[in-house]
Amino acid sequence: MVDPAKAAASPSALEARGFGVGNGARDLIRGVDLKVESRSVLCLVGPSGAGKTTLLRGLNRLIDLAPDLHRIGEVLLHGRSIYGRGVDGDSVRRRIGILFQQPVVFPGSVADNVLFGLRHGGLARRRELPERLERAIREAALWEEVKDRLAEPAASLSVGQQQRLCLARALAVEPEVLLLDEPTSALDPRSTEAIEERIRALRETRAIVLVTHDIRQAERTADVLACIDRREGAGTVIECGACRDLLSRPQSLELARFLDSSLAGDPRPLRFPAETATADLLAVVET
Amino acid sequence: MRSWLARGFFLATAISAVAVFAVLLIATGTIVVRGLPAIDRTFLFTATVGSGEGGVLYQLVGTLILIGTALAVSLPLAIGLALAATVYLPRPRLRRSALALLYTANGIPSVLVGIAGFLVFSHWLGWGKSWLAGGLLLALMILPAESVALIERIESLPRRYLDAAYGLGLNRSQVARAVVLRQSWNGLFSGALLGLARAAGETAPILFAAAVFSGATVPRGIRESPVLALPYHVFVLAQDSFAAGGERHLWGAALVLLCLVATLSLVALPSRLRAHEESRHG
Repeated sequence: MVDPAKAAASPSALEARGFGVGNGARDLIRGVDLKVESRSVLCLVGPSGAGKTTLLRGLNRLIDLAPDLHRIGEVLLHGRSIYGRGVDGDSVRRRIGILFQQPVVFPGSVADNVLFGLRHGGLARRRELPERLERAIREAALWEEVKDRLAEPAASLSVGQQQRLCLARALAVEPEVLLLDEPTSALDPRSTEAIEERIRALRETRAIVLVTHDIRQAERTADVLACIDRREGAGTVIECGACRDLLSRPQSLELARFLDSSLAGDPRPLRFPAETATADLLAVVET
Repeated sequence: MRSWLARGFFLATAISAVAVFAVLLIATGTIVVRGLPAIDRTFLFTATVGSGEGGVLYQLVGTLILIGTALAVSLPLAIGLALAATVYLPRPRLRRSALALLYTANGIPSVLVGIAGFLVFSHWLGWGKSWLAGGLLLALMILPAESVALIERIESLPRRYLDAAYGLGLNRSQVARAVVLRQSWNGLFSGALLGLARAAGETAPILFAAAVFSGATVPRGIRESPVLALPYHVFVLAQDSFAAGGERHLWGAALVLLCLVATLSLVALPSRLRAHEESRHG
């Protein structure tokens, strides 16, 4: 868990202040305030279309590549604006890595894929590559499965292995923060478990932002939970707080609804058992 | 009523398809049947004597020099244009304008390119007739087709590859090298070959600035260094060859030219089809 005294003393690893993304006159997300502390996992949950992926892309300046989009507000990495004058978007994206919903494997071998960013970005000397390759694959918990298949086409791996390969590729450039956009939505339970185990391990060295639709995954991995939903036509953070608190006592109707729909038909209790708040909030709406 | 319309539409399209194939077959068949008797080892490997004897060695060499130069000049320019239009031009409107310009340039009549080349290279630069002028003019002719083929290929690349590369902190130039060009190679290859197939058969651009009918072998400079070329050779023989054996020479040269164009097109075909298939399925 995050040490509150230490967290108060140093700036958050990643922080959004009044952040928004617009397309022309239309706001896609608006007024987002979030703090992601070092060595913690912030989980973003919310219904489809709420703007979770757009927010994630705004947090590492991937929206710069979409000419129709513009941003409002600030994002700070260790207290310094990533959108500030003179800040290079490419170096920001290297420092804030991202893993997408579907594994994106480049044509080439397993090793080529893991070293993609290092080689093409000129981030490592040739002699360093073997060591960086092994370290990244080990960090993604894939070494035992691919150590004898490094020269084989990456496309020959299973989808779950491909997603961990993409994680290894992202880790190879040594990002300070990791953004994970529903990384397990296309995976089977076993691969999902492997990725979640990695998230818990990586949390020891990095700040992580995880977008998920799976409240159980949030329960298993997150320190902080943020619920995003649409208000007045744009996505915004409805509620944010310690995962345990929010799951047991949601304060907003949106999160209560999300919990209710996510857990529909699932008899297992949450690790942090929801008190009567969810039912109370929904009952208020019904009446 | 609707079924009659459907049948009528089918009939019209079938007739159109058959007509096109028939014309193509008749033209190709005529060239093959009339040209084949002229083709032998001597025809391909000896120089023309007079206006209708001997072979087409230097016409073949000249044509290869022209299209080789056109390729060497147009390829880097096409890559630059395509990358500018797809990677470096951020605004979709600018990108659309660039594409519209290229499509328009692709439709410029070749004779106008030939006249412009004559004015610039032969007249202003004082090159007279020069193989380099011909190569540059052919490069200009095929540049739009090459660029458009590459742009279409790049635009069909799945967006996720670009996002993944940018997400690792690569800049535009690194993404262009590592992802865009690497995965668009077949588009460039097929575009270049189809462009060359067109260039190999063009007469008008080289008519004024590069080609002569006889008296040239392998160029040894730039100024006043014309070449012989198959399309120009066929053009001249078809117009005014009264020499004995001229007709046989004409059809033989036409068949060699046809084979050259067909080879380039056929080599380009598989990668063109693969690019289409990949763009359809992502």
